[in-house]
Amino acid sequence: MSRVLAAVATLAIVASSFAFASNIALGHERRSVGPYSFVVGWINEPAYVNAANGLSLDVTETSSSKPVEGLATTLKAEVIVGGGAKTLSLDLATDEETPGHYAGSFIPTKVGDYIFHVFGDVGSTKVDERFESGPKTFDGVVSTDPLQFPDKVPANADLAARLDSIQTGVIAGIVIAALALLVSVGGLAMRRR
Amino acid sequence: MRRLAVILTCVLGGAALLGGAAEAHANYVRSNPASDARLVKAPSEIRIEFSEPPDPKGSEIQVLDTNGVRHDKRDAGLSGDPNGLRVSVDPIPDGGYLVAWTATSAVDGHTTKGNFAFVVGNGPLPPVPEVAEAAPPPSLLEIAGRALSYAGIALGLGTAFFVLFVAPSGIDPRRESWLLSVAGALIVAGSLALVADQGPKLPPRLGVMLAVRAFAGLVLAAVSVTPRLALMRPVVAIAGGGVMTIGPLATFRPRRMIALAAGIAAAMTATLVSHATALGSIKSMAFDFVHVLSVSVWTGGVVALLWCVLLVRRDDTAEDARALGAVVWRFSVTAMIATALLITAGVLQAFDRLVLINDLYETPYGVALAVKIVLVLVALAIGAFNLLRWGPRLRAGIRARTALVRDTVAETGIFVVIIVAASVLTAFAPPAQPSASAYDQTQHVGDLRLEMLVASGGAGRNTYVLRVHQGLAPVSGAEKVAFRFTMVEHDMGQQELVAMERAAGEYVAEGSPTAMYGTWKIQTVVRLAGKEDVSTVFTVPVSAPTGGGTTTSQVLTVGRYTMIVFTDPATPQSGAPVTLYAVLIGADGNPVVGKQLRATFSGPSSQAPIDSTENAATLGPGRYKFDIAGLDAGTWKVTLAVGNEGTGAYSLVVSR
Repeated sequence: MSRVLAAVATLAIVASSFAFASNIALGHERRSVGPYSFVVGWINEPAYVNAANGLSLDVTETSSSKPVEGLATTLKAEVIVGGGAKTLSLDLATDEETPGHYAGSFIPTKVGDYIFHVFGDVGSTKVDERFESGPKTFDGVVSTDPLQFPDKVPANADLAARLDSIQTGVIAGIVIAALALLVSVGGLAMRRR
Repeated sequence: MRRLAVILTCVLGGAALLGGAAEAHANYVRSNPASDARLVKAPSEIRIEFSEPPDPKGSEIQVLDTNGVRHDKRDAGLSGDPNGLRVSVDPIPDGGYLVAWTATSAVDGHTTKGNFAFVVGNGPLPPVPEVAEAAPPPSLLEIAGRALSYAGIALGLGTAFFVLFVAPSGIDPRRESWLLSVAGALIVAGSLALVADQGPKLPPRLGVMLAVRAFAGLVLAAVSVTPRLALMRPVVAIAGGGVMTIGPLATFRPRRMIALAAGIAAAMTATLVSHATALGSIKSMAFDFVHVLSVSVWTGGVVALLWCVLLVRRDDTAEDARALGAVVWRFSVTAMIATALLITAGVLQAFDRLVLINDLYETPYGVALAVKIVLVLVALAIGAFNLLRWGPRLRAGIRARTALVRDTVAETGIFVVIIVAASVLTAFAPPAQPSASAYDQTQHVGDLRLEMLVASGGAGRNTYVLRVHQGLAPVSGAEKVAFRFTMVEHDMGQQELVAMERAAGEYVAEGSPTAMYGTWKIQTVVRLAGKEDVSTVFTVPVSAPTGGGTTTSQVLTVGRYTMIVFTDPATPQSGAPVTLYAVLIGADGNPVVGKQLRATFSGPSSQAPIDSTENAATLGPGRYKFDIAGLDAGTWKVTLAVGNEGTGAYSLVVSR
């Protein structure tokens, strides 16, 4: 009986380790590139706006699940927003404790979708892949509004929009004032005639 | 004068440019087969419904295969549906087909073109080519015809109103008659120009309206002749006097009343061929008629004031100046009332015809309307200046007639440009157009105008369309347009549909992301090359089967269960796939899961029984689904059995 229990416990540990291993890729996109597997997502999830984060990239050999090391110099990565409106090159850093893991840090400053463009060489395999956030891959960057307590801090984008709005109002006020001035001067001139 | 000519040239040039971007009038609203439909059986006819009544004489529907060979019977005619056309189709094999339609509006004679695709069988949908001139711009002849007509209506009606209610006694009847005869000539010439522009495809209804308008013009011209005939009365009396019968017309008041009636009749024809009438809204027609009447009283009245009073009367003495000032004041009060009505009716019309305030600079109709508003404001400013500056001087007995004449001439020039702008404006379709979609909302995000259309209001498979415009132009070639669906009431996760560009600036996705009834948020993501993503959220209600979103939901008692049955789409079309849903509810009010349901059919043709599928995760608990490939048109009796526990009958109407 104890052997049976031991076997069940062993199986449970093995199963839970699989579960643990699969959690690493939770919220990440897994993709085969030639003989390699790429797993791409955020370093910290959920990815909050204006919080330090970055690209999390794991490369393994698909056949053996063996991590692929030494790609920091042969692979390049960049982060793109929108249709290439802004692009930032990322420096890929390795993690000695996690072989095959690379990270490129930055602070996302806008809510929405981000695209990680990974390109270069892995061995003799050419790599040119775009990993895009979305419901089927990894989440985009989200607002911190729901977490803020007790006071909400307006986002930079909201502040910029408010400033734009105020500026528009000021310009409109200046135009109206100028017109009023013109009408007044005209009225005075006509009265003198 | 040179400055005025420059202004006129600029505005007319702008108006001509606007003409190149005209939009449709009789727009496609829906069809059977629907656009992009997949049919299991070839249709015997194509039926299309438009936003305005089409005239079959100038309309056509072609059914083309992928080689461009026609398969319709060239018998396009009215379908009997509201604003509908139909054409018979030869027996056609499986494959993709293109329906190319041309519709001429029976109301204003404008032609629109478009096309859509459907497929019989499992083949791919054929590409839908761009239509080079989906809404041909108005011709110069049409704009000229409208401008002449509107000018004539304004001049005739305004002059008659002025001489009846505003003018002092003793004005020169020859000057009044001259204005009325010019008005009549303009109306007749404008009507003839519009008839010539339409040519053989002139819709009968439009022809009748133009004939009535031309007759009103002839009446105006005729009453303008009567004073001269009156001068001949002594001669005619000596000759025995048949012409004496027109004696009453030679006196002022009846003649002016007839002129006013003719002007009003001509104004009525302008309303009856307008967008307001095409939309079939009494309220819009009333606003349009008030708009036309008030603008005519104001603008025609200014011309009559100028021609019949200001150019004739003197202000050499203080008494003459005061008398002239009194006339100017009476007319100013009339003009203020007319402009108040004009602005009120115009604003109320704008509420109905514009979707967003941005339409004023992002749609051809809006730009033309904005130009017209600016011109009206300029004319109002001149009028206000006359009222506040020269009016008081005249009433005080100070000479100001020359300055008043100068400003009134400028105001008249502005009116001419306003009439041309109105002629261009009426050639454009307003942004607010009827839509067959259950959900149609527009938002302005960043510099983009996003219009979201959801075909059906029910749960299940649906078609989602996003129209993307930037300024006046549709945005083509977006890198990505995606719809992300999340449910408000329940955590159903997030699902994404990626849309394909079907036509310029029109992105379409089809799928079943809204599996449950409730409130759904659709986040749209538009990605354009070199730009940041433009994203916004549309909140879309998805109706319960017993709610207003479907018309076919029925409640059945099946054994000890209550069964709610409905279809998606709510109005099935012949030959097109339809999904039948049955929600099974037990005596305790809770959904019943794990049952086997079977649907058997009796109706216009044979249909094999279908067993239900059940998936609580995607459909919701107690909800059973029957996928039907397609049914023939007619009324079907669907018998729904819950195992051996009982049966219920559901009546299903499949349209042609």
